[in-house]
Amino acid sequence: MIRPPLVTGFGSVTAFGPASGLLSNLEIAPEPASWLAEPPRRAYTVKPFQASTLVPGAKTRRLDRLSTWTLVASHLALNDAGIDLETIDRSRVAVLFASGYGCVELTGSFFSSAHKNGWAGTDPITFPETLANAPAAHAALFHRLQGPNLTLCHAGFAAEYALQTAASLLRHGQADRVIVAAGDALCPALYAWFEEARLLSPECFGTGPVQNPAGLIPSEGVVALVLEAESSAHGNGYARLLDCQLDADAERIRPLASGATRIFCSGGGSPCLTHDATEAVRALAGPSATIFAAHPAAHGLAESGGLLHLLLALSQHPAPGPALQLGCDLRHYFGLQWEVL
Amino acid sequence: MTAPDKTIAITAIGAISQFGKGFGALEAGILNGECHLVSVGDLFDGFKGSMGRIGALPEIEHPERYSRTDRLACEAAREAAESAGLDEKLLHSAAVIMASTVTGLSEIDSAIGADPASWYRQAGLQRAATYPVSHVAGAVAEQLGTRGPVLSVSVACASGSMALALGANLLLDGQVPVVLAGGSDAISAFTTSGFLSLQALDREPCRPFDTTRKGLNLGEGAAVLVMETLAHARARQAHVLGTLRSWAMSNDAYHPTAPDKDGRGLARAIGLAREMAGASLDEIGYINAHGTGTPLNDIAETHAYELAFAGRSRPIPVSSTKSYTGHCLAAAGALEAAITILALRHGALFPTLRLESPIASPTVEYLRGPLRRESITAAMSVSAGFGGSNAALLFGGPCV
Repeated sequence: MIRPPLVTGFGSVTAFGPASGLLSNLEIAPEPASWLAEPPRRAYTVKPFQASTLVPGAKTRRLDRLSTWTLVASHLALNDAGIDLETIDRSRVAVLFASGYGCVELTGSFFSSAHKNGWAGTDPITFPETLANAPAAHAALFHRLQGPNLTLCHAGFAAEYALQTAASLLRHGQADRVIVAAGDALCPALYAWFEEARLLSPECFGTGPVQNPAGLIPSEGVVALVLEAESSAHGNGYARLLDCQLDADAERIRPLASGATRIFCSGGGSPCLTHDATEAVRALAGPSATIFAAHPAAHGLAESGGLLHLLLALSQHPAPGPALQLGCDLRHYFGLQWEVL
Repeated sequence: MTAPDKTIAITAIGAISQFGKGFGALEAGILNGECHLVSVGDLFDGFKGSMGRIGALPEIEHPERYSRTDRLACEAAREAAESAGLDEKLLHSAAVIMASTVTGLSEIDSAIGADPASWYRQAGLQRAATYPVSHVAGAVAEQLGTRGPVLSVSVACASGSMALALGANLLLDGQVPVVLAGGSDAISAFTTSGFLSLQALDREPCRPFDTTRKGLNLGEGAAVLVMETLAHARARQAHVLGTLRSWAMSNDAYHPTAPDKDGRGLARAIGLAREMAGASLDEIGYINAHGTGTPLNDIAETHAYELAFAGRSRPIPVSSTKSYTGHCLAAAGALEAAITILALRHGALFPTLRLESPIASPTVEYLRGPLRRESITAAMSVSAGFGGSNAALLFGGPCV
């Protein structure tokens, strides 16, 4: 019988700042995005930082910010897990990256250069960095990780699928450890799309906090975690991933909620923020369950926020025991059954 | 022999390729040795060269909601689902795993680079909404009415093979009874410009594994394979085209775009797949190679085969069918998996077209000239991509 895998380390580069391990300051507010000149718009943005101060030797000048953050977050997660790469078989370490939009910043730059110079005059250095798998590739290249390297995309549950896939790789012996990273970066073109599609919260326009934002406050950043087979892990870790289930029928998620007295609201559009969805979660978990509501900064990572939801919930130090991470979108529920350690 | 509930059966294939619409067209075209690389000069100013393009696609409802990549994927998936005879209940519970790299980039022009908001207002938000990689799998699920897991994979040119590998894992995990997995990519100015800037394109029809090779030709297409366990396929009396005996993935961790020149990462994937299947060195009768035709890829790939098949009693037969279709990017792995199954079914070792002066190797026999007829029991399809990712899929006949 293979024991469920453990989360042994976290690293993150988000609006909460770069961090190794759990987050200490959870009080942040959206700020005007510096890369949007006019008119001012708010978002949960990652402040510029020098990657090499956190990851000695990292050369990130030509990378998309998403690649840089993934490399840095992966490094911080490995450190937090206490993994010395010199002592392990790097061909047994996989990297799974999950994203909604991929490397939008350099994709935008490539379009701009084509607009300026014509399609025959684009930059050969930029093109490979526009690929969605560039972040996972850079994390592997820097750390010389030669296991499976995958990039998964989903509208709403990209991070959840990555966790499920990572557990599957471990279960089938295709890796001993998996770095799972998930996130997205904002850029003017993406923000403009949200705005033109009328998806933004009033708070994005600087009207001050609103009680129940109907829209999105866009967010950016990457959270990485190390998922290890119990036999490979050095310490206890933060949580054990017991099971995953996606289903269109909430009733079929119910078994995952069995015994769970803590519910972490997750991605897929995070309807846990709304009254109706909270009721749906209550119905699944029972009246005594403690619900950890989704933070708007994770909600704003609309497609890939699952790991940030998890990190924020664990950073509130829930008591050890069973927990359900639950996300819902228009079609599906995605449940992750955890044992908090 | 692996237990039927642990063996992955391929029970249908849908394809749209340069040979035409349908798996049958792919089958006939590849057996006839048809090359569909043609010179194009209208993709954008400054580019003229050989490509594997597909003509107009069949009509679809609400075409504005789907990119060309989506439409290729939906066409292949529809054929696969129909051929597999999936009833409504099975289709509802099926997983969809689609690979893509281009996705909706074909729908976006360079003017978006000047003023995105203005472009959205003029061109329509829906065109840009096809940009996320996830849109391709979502479009297939929507068209087929599936309600199971829907996942998109984007690992450059290894994407299609990896979608199949993930589908196999999902089946062994018992998460779903049936998986529709494959890849789809359309030709776009964005991608062509990128490969042109890297000087990776051959303006003439490509010559993989030839000592005079100059680069690749881009292609487009889609293939979707219906996967289920052999036990499940037998229980519903489904026709089994072949089996996916094993699969493995690795990364070079060597360079952002260039493959490990010694081929170590790819050799490791091949070795792991062979180990998983318990296949001997001599058991594998044919390899459908990644074989792009670029100077760096083809020599690295040759070294990978030399590492992986050292000790084999005779050279391993290898060919690149990208010489027929061009490099279909994320669709390549799925299309080439389909072609590898055809090799097994017909006992047909497809030659690389235009191969006159093959890379010399004592371990590898680069197939050229006329189609070779030879009965084989196991054949491998390998893929590699930017970012150093590699995948190897080992296929067997319908009953292992």
